[in-house]
Amino acid sequence: MRDEWFRADRLPHIYCAGCGNGTIVNCVLEAVSMTGWDRKNTVFLSGIGCSSRAPGYILTDSLHTTHGRAIAFATGVKMADPSLHVVVFTGDGDLAAIGGNHFIHACRRNIDLTVVCMNNHIYGMTGGQGSPTTPLGKTSTTTPYGASETPFDLVDLAVAAGANYVARWTSFHVKQLTEAVLNGLNTPGFSLIEVRCQCPTSYGRRNKYREPVDYITHLKAHAILKDKWESMEKSGQDMPADSFPVGEFVRRARPVMGVPDEA
Amino acid sequence: MKLEIDESRCKGCNLCTMVCPYKIYRPGSRPNRKGIYIPELDRPERCPNCRLQELYGRRLCGVCALICPDQAIRWVPEKPYEPMKVVIEY
Amino acid sequence: MQGNIASAEGALAAGCTFFGGYPITPSTEVAEHMAARMPKIKGSCFIQMEDEIASMAAIIGAAWTGARSMTATSGPGFSLMMENIGYAVMTETPCVLVNIQRGGPSTGQPTMGAQGDMMQVRFGSHGDYSIIALCPSSVQECFDLTAKAFNLADRFRTPVFLMADEVIGHMREKLEIPDSVEIVRPKTLPEGMLPFTPGPDGVPGFAPFGTGRYTHVTGLTHDERGYPDTTNPARHDALVRRLVSKIEDARHEIADYTIVNEDAEYVFVCYGAPVRTVKEVVDKRKVPKTGYLQLRIVWPFPEELLKRFPKCRAFIVPEMNLGMIVREVGRHVKIPVIPVSRIGGELHTPEDLIEAVKIAESTT
Repeated sequence: MRDEWFRADRLPHIYCAGCGNGTIVNCVLEAVSMTGWDRKNTVFLSGIGCSSRAPGYILTDSLHTTHGRAIAFATGVKMADPSLHVVVFTGDGDLAAIGGNHFIHACRRNIDLTVVCMNNHIYGMTGGQGSPTTPLGKTSTTTPYGASETPFDLVDLAVAAGANYVARWTSFHVKQLTEAVLNGLNTPGFSLIEVRCQCPTSYGRRNKYREPVDYITHLKAHAILKDKWESMEKSGQDMPADSFPVGEFVRRARPVMGVPDEA
Repeated sequence: MKLEIDESRCKGCNLCTMVCPYKIYRPGSRPNRKGIYIPELDRPERCPNCRLQELYGRRLCGVCALICPDQAIRWVPEKPYEPMKVVIEY
Repeated sequence: MQGNIASAEGALAAGCTFFGGYPITPSTEVAEHMAARMPKIKGSCFIQMEDEIASMAAIIGAAWTGARSMTATSGPGFSLMMENIGYAVMTETPCVLVNIQRGGPSTGQPTMGAQGDMMQVRFGSHGDYSIIALCPSSVQECFDLTAKAFNLADRFRTPVFLMADEVIGHMREKLEIPDSVEIVRPKTLPEGMLPFTPGPDGVPGFAPFGTGRYTHVTGLTHDERGYPDTTNPARHDALVRRLVSKIEDARHEIADYTIVNEDAEYVFVCYGAPVRTVKEVVDKRKVPKTGYLQLRIVWPFPEELLKRFPKCRAFIVPEMNLGMIVREVGRHVKIPVIPVSRIGGELHTPEDLIEAVKIAESTT
């Protein structure tokens, strides 16, 4: 059961009301509890940021590391002891900005990690600065006139860099997200599950989605299933503004590192 | 099974009111001690998990508990559990 | 054998099973040797990371699985590692770093020796902390001190630094490899004890991942359980003071040194490559009234040793930097302390040091 994986003495957590991170932790723990893994042999890691507080609420060995470096730490853990199951929580700033190099190299090595990126398009912990995934034109404290830089597409990045499993969902799609995380956990090699989630406090407040329900309705409305997205692209339709494809983007069996020897 | 909202955890974001297919949750009308408007339950016995979890031996639906960012929604066993009262709807 | 390779062999003899590295002159031979040796040792892992930040992160991750882990680098890479060195200190992670020092600042002199990182190793990461730094002056010491570094790291649960330099790292000398080296693993965490409750020596027992203790490890100020507690001044005060005192309080007990001519009037305080010139001056040429103190553990600084020279009129500190440990010596004594600085990559000549003795004689 999922409840057994929480450090109940640490709850309620520090996330703001309506924050998507709590939902994602639920889904990840639901998936982990479905794998039948032993809590003793499971390690959760994270870097710095809102997302990265998650391992502190999970009753396993957990490593809350420095900003952006979680995947590098995870590489050490997994390579030194491949019998451990290693899951990394990270955010968009953590993964795509300061940790971008570690991210693409872990994809390239195809190390047997599952990385869950809570992408809320903003630096929430520090009060709402623009991140590499802040959509064009959106307001943050460091983009007061609207973001002028093209955002990263984390899914494309992971696919291009060689990850074995890549999926994207939103914090509304809890069932699909749980299944995607489960697939990621079960796929040998590097798995990235990007979750577009709401940050009502820092992002929503400045971008007309102050209420969590409004925000998640927006995410739901702009998430287009991958197949539909591709057929829309083929037929040359204009994509609706702010929309993005969701679904499973890659599942393959390239050579991997960090899995236990067969012997 | 009985549906419960843990008041010590709920932060009043109302996401449960949005996702429940049976519209069991309603936005709260009165603030609690911490000033949080805890959602109210509208005839929770309609929840399939309340009625059928014991029978099926697994969790059904459960979307509200999954999406609840604050881990505040749970089902607790009602005692005594009386299987005779379970009515299967087709 | 070369100093760098002796260091790698010393690590393997001590049971190092994880090496995360990144190529950088003049330390690359350590990684190359590990890359050749480790895949043939069952349960060992060599990995070349994408940068030094990641190397340091990886060895900390590996250390938490219970492995003895190490990396090797030089000046610019060492600067990159500073962030995670602080993390290793805060989380009390045992690991070993080899720094083959080269001329700096910045890219400086990649192929020339220096001792310019001696203050960085002690104070380079942000916040208050303390570490252990060892300085070999020969190829044999590269081997012995690397093996010893692992034991100190495990005993004190701290990163330990082998602060060699390009001169020693690339020097070839005869090396005697012992049949076995002493291996002291960390205390295990007693049953029922929280993972960051200190023992009587200020060091908590170690519960690596996979042992079912559900340790939460964070770089934030934390309580004995490992949970963050960042706004309690008393908590932070107690934690950081313990991290410093567990090492500083042991500085005389762990001191590793050689004293020659206790009744000398002019005493060289030296570590690393300059020790070789000092030995030439004192041991071979037998310049009158001179003696020396060679430090193999420079940090924590064992200041009591300076009192072992009752007739000393001046300390002379030859260093391959513009004066770093000379300040530490000067802080503890009231007699003149004379620096002999040499940068650019060449060792001091015996004449440099004899000249310094003359200056000392004329000023005291």
